[in-house]
Amino acid sequence: MERLFKNASIARADSPELEKADVLVGDDGVIKEVGKDIAGDAVSDCAGCVLVPGMFDLHVHAREPGAEHKETLATCADAALNGGITGLVLMPDTSPPIDTGNLVKSLQDLVFEASPIPMLVAGCLTKRREGEKLAGFSGMANRGVVMLTDSDRTVPCPDLLRRCMEYARDFHLVVTSHCDTPALTKAGAVNEGRVSYQLGLPGIPAISQEIAIDRDIRVAQHTGAKLHLQQISTAHALRAISDAKATGTNVTCEVSPFHLLLSEDDIEDYNTAYKLDPPLRLPTDRDALLKGLLDDTVDAIATNHAPHTEFEKAADFASAPFGVAGLETAVLSLYDRFIKNGVFGWDLLIRKYSVAPREIVGQRPVAIQEGEKANFFVFDPEGETKVDAGYLKTKSHVSPFLGKALAGAIRETVLG
Amino acid sequence: MSDLQPRKDLLDIESLSLEEIEYVLNNAVPFKQLFQRSVKKVPTLRGKTVLNLFYEPSTRTSSSFEVAASRLSADVTNFAVGSSSVVKGESLLDTIETLQAMRSDYIVIRHKGAGVPGIVAKHTNASVLNAGDGYHAHPTQALLDAMTFREVCPDYAGKKVVIVGDILHSRVARSTSTLFHKLGIEVGVLGPGSLIPEGRHDFMQRLASWDDVFDWGPDAVYLLRVQLERQEGQFFPGIAEYHKMYGLNSGRLSQMRERGTWLMHPGPVNRGVEVTDEAMGYEKSLISTQVENGIAVRMAVLHWLKPETQQD
Repeated sequence: MERLFKNASIARADSPELEKADVLVGDDGVIKEVGKDIAGDAVSDCAGCVLVPGMFDLHVHAREPGAEHKETLATCADAALNGGITGLVLMPDTSPPIDTGNLVKSLQDLVFEASPIPMLVAGCLTKRREGEKLAGFSGMANRGVVMLTDSDRTVPCPDLLRRCMEYARDFHLVVTSHCDTPALTKAGAVNEGRVSYQLGLPGIPAISQEIAIDRDIRVAQHTGAKLHLQQISTAHALRAISDAKATGTNVTCEVSPFHLLLSEDDIEDYNTAYKLDPPLRLPTDRDALLKGLLDDTVDAIATNHAPHTEFEKAADFASAPFGVAGLETAVLSLYDRFIKNGVFGWDLLIRKYSVAPREIVGQRPVAIQEGEKANFFVFDPEGETKVDAGYLKTKSHVSPFLGKALAGAIRETVLG
Repeated sequence: MSDLQPRKDLLDIESLSLEEIEYVLNNAVPFKQLFQRSVKKVPTLRGKTVLNLFYEPSTRTSSSFEVAASRLSADVTNFAVGSSSVVKGESLLDTIETLQAMRSDYIVIRHKGAGVPGIVAKHTNASVLNAGDGYHAHPTQALLDAMTFREVCPDYAGKKVVIVGDILHSRVARSTSTLFHKLGIEVGVLGPGSLIPEGRHDFMQRLASWDDVFDWGPDAVYLLRVQLERQEGQFFPGIAEYHKMYGLNSGRLSQMRERGTWLMHPGPVNRGVEVTDEAMGYEKSLISTQVENGIAVRMAVLHWLKPETQQD
């Protein structure tokens, strides 16, 4: 069935200006026409609304197979669409971990059945993510993995990491690192500093991430491998990445909306929804990450969607697992804080959360133009979204934004 | 009688007003006088139940609460939480449900997880008394320390106390220093750099050595217990070196004696580590007074808090 999106404003990657136009999507799901005064049936009046190209999240834990009580591919896909995200990369830290071509194939089959959106598969760097032996890169590469990573476990041995990078280079696969030094992180729960002292919680020092980043960058420079760094959390880490880029290192990095919006000062009352890996850092770090996003040191936004049950997160702060659901609050929270207030425009969000992440894993960008498959969401800037059970599609109703109202509403996500 | 707002729980020192602190410390005095009598019991909490819930081993604090509660005529139950049963098995929420079903009026809790007493408090009608959570807080220790210091220094404002030892892992240091600061007492800290965190309270003045301490001129030296099992080799090279650098040896003790400096310690002490045998007999040691005041302060706190369990 044809659908006509009437009187919309269209957001694009290359301009902060919104274009007033109607969009006609054919019954084959392809955009037939973008223009003025298009006539048609099945009209959605989009006056005042913005049509935004679908986002792409590089960092998602969908928990299937192995932890379906936290999330499934199906609920994850629902959550993604609810949040305006039309493609994502699955982390391989499932049970079993995705470390062979056969497991990649099995997961792809599950995705095919469960998800209307592309969920690309990342494979492990080392067997069972144990950091001891290389996983089967060629089998996984043949099945189409888009990156190699041991997920939240950084490969501990620099020699093994070096061999991983040298080997991955032959398959043109990006090596992705969560950037953590376990010997420094230990049983830490929050950023080490004033807040960890006041709450009496074991701290995670900033150097835990920074040393790992320095090391990973040096190994990437030495081997010439493509490196992607996840969840950058400190100003110093960002400077190291900026320096590496200036000398031509093949490195990209991501930040999460949480680290752009929040700092350790926001942790209140031992609320475990603020327990993230890496931890929320200082307000100055948060501000440096925003600056890095604006000056292109930060390549991409990625949520680290890491759902856990409310029960699991109801443990005491030090014992609770790291991570929260992120897919459904990413666009809204960034709109609420930044776009609405003119800090940046839709164009920047599209570049950082739609174009660049797709590019990092070799996918074509999506845009709202004739001849392209429909892949956008309808955003109502006048709306408001209460983040609660009525809104969330993820199984995990744990979020720093839970119970809060965010400006704007995603009316629907349209897929061709 | 004061017109304080009723308070259900005692979770930390930060949230206490000066008025509340005064109220508890003043009320502890008559309770302490009671200890001189042959009948040490009052009927204040008759018919009420106090549940002692210690997830970490503790003899002193749990007995102190038990004595305090029984001197108020409350019924005390020691909920035996073997350290093994805590491992993985029952979750915090399940435990809380069990506790709520027991309908205790007061829950005294010690737990390795910072913030746990607060979670329990939120989910129960009972008054929750934090008896130590992780590195976070130990408010009744702070109150008994303040009571003890005020007894020997009635004009305490502007006096100085140096806390010696592991500031990083000490809930006692956090709570006691916060309370002293609220009372206008200056707080110095002495210890190895690896155990004096950068993120500590701004008011904690770092002293470099015992010489520095004596130059600074504290009215009391507060020694913290060294957690040998946890720290040796990780944060300082060994006991001998710790004792040499930070222990209260006879030379330092004689300097304290000359200056009339009081000695405090939350117990239990490691003889030969933070103190020598000689120091244990020091005439200006307040260690036993701290234990005695602990009971009085805990009685005052139990008397003060208002559980939401009563219908009337």
